Amino acid sequence: MVENIVIGAGHAGVEAALASSRMGINTLLITMDKNAVSRMSCNPAIGGLAKGHLVSEIDALGGEMAKVIDKTGIQFKILNRSKGRAVWSPRAQADKMKYSQEMGRRIIAQENLELLEDTVKNVLFENNSVYGVVTDQSGTIACKTVIITSGTFLNGLIHIGLDNYAGGRLYEDSVTGITESLNIAGIYSGRLKTGTPPRIHRDSIDYSKTIPQYGDDSPVPFSFQTERFSPKNIPCYITHTNPITHDILMSGLNRSPLYSGKIKGVGPRYCPSIEDKIVRFNDRSSHQIFLEPEWEGAHQYYVNGFSTSLPLDIQNKAIHTIPGLEHAEIIRPGYAIEYDFFPSYQLKRTLETKPVDGLFLAGQVNGTSGYEEAAALGLMAGINAALKIRKEPPFHLSRSEAYIGVLIDDLITKSPMEPYRMFTSSAEYRLLLRFDNADQRLSKYGYRLGLLGYKYYELSQQKITASREIIRFLKNTSVGPDDINPILIALGEKPVKSGLNLYKALCRPNISIDHLYKFFPAGITNNLSGANSIAEQTELDVKYHGYIQRQLDQIKNLSLHENTPLGPDINYHNIKSITKEAREKLQKIKPETIGQASRISGVSPSDITTLLILIKKGDVSRETK
Amino acid sequence: MLNTEGSTIVALSTPRGYGGIALIRMSGPLSLSILKNIFRSDKKIAPRQATLGRIFDDKGFIDSAVSTYYKAPHSYTGEDVVELSVHGNPFLCDLIIAALKKHGASGAGPGEFTKRAFLNGKMDLSQAEGVADFIYLSSRAALNASADLLRGSFGGAIRTIKSEIIDVLTVLELELDFTEEEIEFSSQLQTAEKVSGIIKRVEKILKTFDFGKIIREGLLCPIVGPPNSGKSSLFNALLKEERVIVSPTPGTTRDYIEETVPLGNYQIRLIDTAGIRKTKGNIEGAGIKKTQSLIKRADILLFVIDPINLPKDLSGLPKIQINKSYFIINKADIASPAQIHAAIHLAGKRPYFICSAVKSEGINKILDFIKEKIEKRSKKAGDHILTRERHKEALYRALQHLKKSHKNLLLGVAPEIISIDFRSALNFLDVLLGKTENDDILNNIFNNFCVGK
Repeated sequence: MVENIVIGAGHAGVEAALASSRMGINTLLITMDKNAVSRMSCNPAIGGLAKGHLVSEIDALGGEMAKVIDKTGIQFKILNRSKGRAVWSPRAQADKMKYSQEMGRRIIAQENLELLEDTVKNVLFENNSVYGVVTDQSGTIACKTVIITSGTFLNGLIHIGLDNYAGGRLYEDSVTGITESLNIAGIYSGRLKTGTPPRIHRDSIDYSKTIPQYGDDSPVPFSFQTERFSPKNIPCYITHTNPITHDILMSGLNRSPLYSGKIKGVGPRYCPSIEDKIVRFNDRSSHQIFLEPEWEGAHQYYVNGFSTSLPLDIQNKAIHTIPGLEHAEIIRPGYAIEYDFFPSYQLKRTLETKPVDGLFLAGQVNGTSGYEEAAALGLMAGINAALKIRKEPPFHLSRSEAYIGVLIDDLITKSPMEPYRMFTSSAEYRLLLRFDNADQRLSKYGYRLGLLGYKYYELSQQKITASREIIRFLKNTSVGPDDINPILIALGEKPVKSGLNLYKALCRPNISIDHLYKFFPAGITNNLSGANSIAEQTELDVKYHGYIQRQLDQIKNLSLHENTPLGPDINYHNIKSITKEAREKLQKIKPETIGQASRISGVSPSDITTLLILIKKGDVSRETK
Repeated sequence: MLNTEGSTIVALSTPRGYGGIALIRMSGPLSLSILKNIFRSDKKIAPRQATLGRIFDDKGFIDSAVSTYYKAPHSYTGEDVVELSVHGNPFLCDLIIAALKKHGASGAGPGEFTKRAFLNGKMDLSQAEGVADFIYLSSRAALNASADLLRGSFGGAIRTIKSEIIDVLTVLELELDFTEEEIEFSSQLQTAEKVSGIIKRVEKILKTFDFGKIIREGLLCPIVGPPNSGKSSLFNALLKEERVIVSPTPGTTRDYIEETVPLGNYQIRLIDTAGIRKTKGNIEGAGIKKTQSLIKRADILLFVIDPINLPKDLSGLPKIQINKSYFIINKADIASPAQIHAAIHLAGKRPYFICSAVKSEGINKILDFIKEKIEKRSKKAGDHILTRERHKEALYRALQHLKKSHKNLLLGVAPEIISIDFRSALNFLDVLLGKTENDDILNNIFNNFCVGK
């Protein structure tokens, strides 16, 4: 008997289905197209700033995205390498075909998991609780939980110029019925918009006018479980728009669905269309364009930076003004798509909806964007659906533990009305949440949930131990002036007269840990190379000890009331002693904890104090029901 | 946040300032026992009865007062409440409240008495709308510090500083979150230059705090000098010149006598201190420690010298800041010109006045000078005057973080580290202005930079 149904086999759906089936739950993954598992609708890349962090966290929790991109990616790069290690972020060019095929294989091979090609028309509820779905082919399928991960497919409307038609992705059908059944169950929906650039033919590009851009020479994998990593390094190509391009694009604005008001949905500001960039930043005479192969040997190139929903004739004319693209042949036009989403204040931390028991939402339907955000949410929804079926306590991550914790907390407390994307600046404990320590932060959970093998959990624990050992060694070791002064002088540091403690040496700005390797005893130096090395992580812990400690202290102070629960039955309208704005926001969002409440904008510290007083007096229920 | 629950709170319930009477209110389970620590009366304190008595702190008598005790739940807040009617003098009130706090009361937050009244069911829900409005108003005030202060140009100056810090953060975060974009990131040195501008402005505002304090509490003006140099005569002479004595604080067991005197639009707090004398290389004298601390806090210091008994040098005397100390060469009526000349010589670079305190000659000149001095400082401080200790503290800590980030910028430290100090600086400004959302920074990025592919 099916226990958990996942609707949609995109990046959120596959992680949700894999997690729940691995946790022993009979899972049915329903997709409209078995060949479209984990299909990348937009850019052929995974990771990037903050998103790379999410991928490494998915990996530590036992998710699949990192392993599959490591296996199929065609170019790997660590971004922000010139900045501090906390903001380094891995990114890979993907092979869309192989990525989808590889994920499909893993889905099919997975125990307790069945992949069904069908279309869900309706979600079934009774007494605010989900009990099944109705599909086109199979009729009613009963279950205990449903996870909706349907991306942009719910009432998807594709716009190219002033033309528009129903579709979930170009040349793919949209779905009607799911949104409507959720609305009936009391869940609000809204409209968002996103877009994608045209794809052009490989052989129509004049590469001599572009600048090739390769990945790192010594690539670093996303997954800490990946061994023997030697991926391809296939280049992308850079070119630029110019004033003539911009003039042509401007001439098409009267036929733009965005500027003519045809599109009602809100689009992401961090991912503007090229026409948007030109209108809003008209002082810029040129914008950067990346030409990216969509898979190894692809005839189809993605024109990154040229997202547009202008009519096809304008797309053609404009693209031909770009150096290298004079004769570019557009295979698939750029387009905008509007779709239904469910504002995320309606979610609990588990991603289960507040109004409907057993119904979980993940991915773009939550008002997020990005493959990585989707996968992270899918994983968390899958885990929590499984825990719910097993009648076990829910699993959630705090803002101080993981980007995933920040992501979900932001969704609930801020309920963004434009597609939400992860940024490193959204994480207040950024120094602690690095991509290279995701395993040390989270693999204990992955292991405990049964999603990560003991071997890898053990590996992460060894890293923690090794780091402690290195610190102990540094603190306990001093070297004489004869040994250390040549190093100090070479690096422009002040030489010492007597000995220098190695920990103190490392605190000096110009000294990095590799300068000190020669003093290390053979035992610890075994795993001291490569960007992932534990020694380099330890260096950061030493150099920024003060800041790291400060962040740890902040977390300690915060956690006093962070998890104090606020019941779902509180009627905030009756709490007259808090501000009107706070009452309205709290009533709408119904935060689960004091921590969540405190992060809702418009809820002031004194409102929180009042809530705490009422809770302590036990009056929250008496006075407010 | 919640540690106020069950606590005993105290606050001045009448507006701060000079007046016939001031009311200090205390509410909470310990109200009566705290009161008994400082209030002495021949009569027994009984509920709902006014009791006349005298208030003492550990240094001695402070004021006579009438106390009224309301036993729970028959009080405004529904808790044990004590109301003290005292003389309307802010310094007395501060002393009394400090004494109550010392015995276990804590300061009441804005609207807290009313909030307690509401929470204890002293007001029903039909009244609650009014209560809520009241609390709303006062908690807003708490969040925005004191709104009336911040509404003016001082608030404007702080807001400008905050938005400048957000601008700097925007650039830093832009570089971290949009590294692949084709944006010309400003160099850390350029950013450092911006930050040093911000630092200068914060420092300037901080400097106005001293003047703000003068407005709030009066100009602190101790009179110091060797024994028998005529300090007390000068004290009396200065008082006599002004004639109006606002509030005497009898110093029965104190080590000095303080009088507050209006001077133009300001108040000066004249303090007659114990003598300072050098014996065998040691400084001695009753209350000398207190005098030293006064000297440290002084806005203007009057250093009285007896030219007939001129000290050989000033080495045995406490260090006095030259820029705020004035030599008062006293006893001009009986000293010889040569003696006065020697005293002038001893004054060195310090400004000096020649007077006779006993004959009240030359006293007006001193007062005029002090007045002129305050007015000059008032002009210099401009409109951005920092008056609250809490604001000063927040601004000061913001400044420390700005300085740290400035240093880090010059050292080329990683931007995500620099960002931490900027965010901390913002957090401290938030004490004055209210919460900064991370969205403020992201919005700034989206509005000002062409990002995204």
